[in-house]
Amino acid sequence: MAVAATTPVLEIAALARDIVGPDWVITDGAQLRVYECDGLKNQREIPGAVILPGSTDQVAAVVRLCHERGVPFVARGAGSGLSGGAMPTAAGVVIGLSRLRQVLDLDVPNQRVRVQPGVTNLHVSEVAAPHGLYYAPDPSSQQVCTIGGNIAENAGGAHCLKYGFTTNHVLAATVVLSDGRVVEFGGEAPDAPGLDLLGVLIGSEGTIAVVTEALLNLLPRPQHVETLVAMFPSSETAGAAVSAIIAEGIVPAAVEMMDRLAIDAAKTQTPITWDTEAALIVELDGPLIEVQSQFEAVTAICERCGADAVRVAATPEERMEIWRARKSAFAAVGALAPAYLVQDGVIPRTRLPEVLNAIRDLADANGVRVANVFHAGDGNLHPLVLYDNKVEGEQDRAERVAIRIVELCVEFGGSITGEHGVGVEKVCSMPKMFSGDDLTAFARVRAAFDPDGLCNPDKLLPTPRLCGEVPGFHHTHAVEAAGLGERM
Amino acid sequence: MAGLAEILGADRLSEEHDTPVVTPRDQAEVAELLTAATRDGLALTIRGGGTKRNWRAAPARCDAILSTAALAGIVDHQPGDMTLVVRGGTPLVDAQAAVTGAAGHRQRLMLEPVGGPAATLGGILSTRAAGPLRHRYGTPRDIVIGARYVTGDGLAAKTGGTVVKNVAGYDVAKLLIGAHGSLGVITEIAVKLHPVPDVERMLVLRSTDSAAVARFVLALSTAPVTPTLVEVHWPDGVVAVRIASTAAGADAQIALLRGLAPLDEVDAAAGEALLANQLALPFAGTGSVFGVGVRPTDLAPLLDAVALVGGTFAGRAALVAGDVLLPDEDPDRSSRLIAAVRGLGGTVQARRGADAHRLAAAAHAPGIAELEAAMREQLDPAGVLA
Ligand SMILES: Cc1cc2nc3c(=O)[nH]c(=O)nc-3n(C[C@H](O)[C@H](O)[C@H](O)COP(=O)(O)OP(=O)(O)OC[C@H]3O[C@@H](n4cnc5c(N)ncnc54)[C@H](O)[C@@H]3O)c2cc1C
Repeated sequence: MAVAATTPVLEIAALARDIVGPDWVITDGAQLRVYECDGLKNQREIPGAVILPGSTDQVAAVVRLCHERGVPFVARGAGSGLSGGAMPTAAGVVIGLSRLRQVLDLDVPNQRVRVQPGVTNLHVSEVAAPHGLYYAPDPSSQQVCTIGGNIAENAGGAHCLKYGFTTNHVLAATVVLSDGRVVEFGGEAPDAPGLDLLGVLIGSEGTIAVVTEALLNLLPRPQHVETLVAMFPSSETAGAAVSAIIAEGIVPAAVEMMDRLAIDAAKTQTPITWDTEAALIVELDGPLIEVQSQFEAVTAICERCGADAVRVAATPEERMEIWRARKSAFAAVGALAPAYLVQDGVIPRTRLPEVLNAIRDLADANGVRVANVFHAGDGNLHPLVLYDNKVEGEQDRAERVAIRIVELCVEFGGSITGEHGVGVEKVCSMPKMFSGDDLTAFARVRAAFDPDGLCNPDKLLPTPRLCGEVPGFHHTHAVEAAGLGERM
Repeated sequence: MAGLAEILGADRLSEEHDTPVVTPRDQAEVAELLTAATRDGLALTIRGGGTKRNWRAAPARCDAILSTAALAGIVDHQPGDMTLVVRGGTPLVDAQAAVTGAAGHRQRLMLEPVGGPAATLGGILSTRAAGPLRHRYGTPRDIVIGARYVTGDGLAAKTGGTVVKNVAGYDVAKLLIGAHGSLGVITEIAVKLHPVPDVERMLVLRSTDSAAVARFVLALSTAPVTPTLVEVHWPDGVVAVRIASTAAGADAQIALLRGLAPLDEVDAAAGEALLANQLALPFAGTGSVFGVGVRPTDLAPLLDAVALVGGTFAGRAALVAGDVLLPDEDPDRSSRLIAAVRGLGGTVQARRGADAHRLAAAAHAPGIAELEAAMREQLDPAGVLA
């Protein structure tokens, strides 16, 4: 088709209409705006074009068009990411996977399912449910977020304490590499020979390939579940209870904590009546008799550690109510302040009381409020920094506090992100956690998959343009670094 | 090899069957060595405990052996956080002793010393070696949370961290695990620990009917039981299941398992001996050994195929993954095994035996070989560790 296009990206859009069908290519300004950001709303960029392929082959063909013209592209699932991973590049292409939402093959005896990347996390468990199976990773956003996005972010959830993260539940993935080649990582049988490329793909934030199919491991539904909420007079005492439960050798399915502000937020959305400084949600699952005896032990530990009250969910409805309160807390915080930032950092679990105190001091010193709702069992904090964007300077202060919080996490021996990813949000925090050489090694791994830097560029690794020079960090190719060759 | 001696001092260089052995003491020394080797075009082979050196095809050239013997020791154990950091050359049994010896804590590193007491953690990672506990706790890829390493051209780097949850940066540890030392030297490893269960009970069953064994294992996979291991030894038909739970929970689960199994029960005491055997199989006898894996529903055909070629299988019955020991090194026999496993869509890795690596060399899925080459080019551009 002869097209008089003015820019490479418009040329791609024109050619893509023949590949994916004219209805699935967006170049109109107003429609493009829908794709300008993901869940990280304070970073936006209008893409050059949005293309919505309907098959692996179509994804490959679109990627080839981009590759031939040196145009960057970014894969997009539901856009629920919280670190700007799916934010477009200005003159780039967004490859939306929303049309790829078929469950391809449910293999009940082998407890696995092959899906397309646009299938939502929750839908996988829904499809498996009639067979007594489910998909274990359960991000709070599971109703909307997609398997492709989960793989890219190595998504976690409340129940990952016991069952592990996305990386522990994906058996294989079909991917389109940045030059359009289609390859399969992993496989049906364990111990695929060669390098664990699947392991690197998971958590690579869309920077090494576009996932177009995934084979997921399913688990049998646990026979029995018990859930309680323990009301503690302080976050410190609740934190001590977490350590005591773990020290007892019990591995709960989930251990989540909400502080007073987070509880207040949840109250605006759900009928909970909790009135306490810190609520600890503990869930145990497994064989009936084991759960019953361990649940008694957990209840006793909470009381011993100073809980004022322990409420046990007596019915599935009460259990649902507890989880609704927990899972709604993020969004509900919006009712307490005109604006807020969601933070994601990890600390060693035993440092919880110290870090929570430090966060409080930091918030007080900067005149902002911080609500804490988090995965206490694995030390994954989600401080929500509340602010008023109409008050001059308050957003800046909130952003400073948010950044300072993750730096604190690193100082306490933790990480700048436990599940939301680095994206664009934290690229400039990467040097807090990694040396120049560490980053160079990461850059080389990326270059092995995407030598031309077209696959979701400017994410995950700092660039001089975004963050200034990072000492010791080189984007050079290994061969040049080793002095074995020169780029002409 | 004068260059290598200069870097570390002559006392760090010894000789073994005419091959020099260098013994760096820390990550910086490893980096110096690999930088020099890259510059001088040397080929190095990494050696931990030396127990699984056959698990990788012999390198085309080996100018020197890089021993991790002096890269041993515990760096940090945080019992409250259930994390452990050790140096790459630390024998697994030493790491385990440090963990289980911590007063007032009942926790364990849920990896097994495949290869025996000399097996180092670095070697276990590099060969992705796992034993029966894999059923519940996974392989090194599920237990490692971070690592320090040196790339083939001497870049000293870190991946992951020391906390149990972390998604910052690429998960390079996954690449190093199973790479047989071909991408870099692992100098430090952070792992998560697990609590030691209250009680453990073993149920040992016997049947020489592969279909019956497979039915039992599939039924178990959906039953409300939480075994730490489900092992099968074939063709003698011994199946061992270990339940870890509370005392009451374990009794109930064992009772439930008995109901599932129309198989003969044998003395549970035989179970512990069996487990030791399972780990030892790839190192026992004199024949060729292959690691194999198939889908859960292909257990029975796998067992039949192993019996047909006169082999012995020791492995994880529910996953399905394990080792096959053949009675001799007959390439024809090896080929028949490999063809049978591949015919089931399974995976094969050579462990030992004449021509084993050549026979098992996998026809990689399209595109994968190129990606692996690109990765080596990036992390070991001069092929020092190839
Ligand atoms: C209210 C709320 C609660 C949340 N709770 C959690 C939680 O509990 N745990 C958690 O881990 N996360 C949570 N998140 C974050 C987010 O939902 C996850 O990161 C999720 O995995 C993103 O999926 P997505 O489909 O929305 O991906 P997107 O936001 O569309 O994309 C995320 C990244 O994945 C890449 N990507 C998407 N699809 C593909 C593909 N097919 N191939 C390659 N790369 C791809 C993108 O390029 C981008 O880098 C939450 C978000 C919200 C808004």
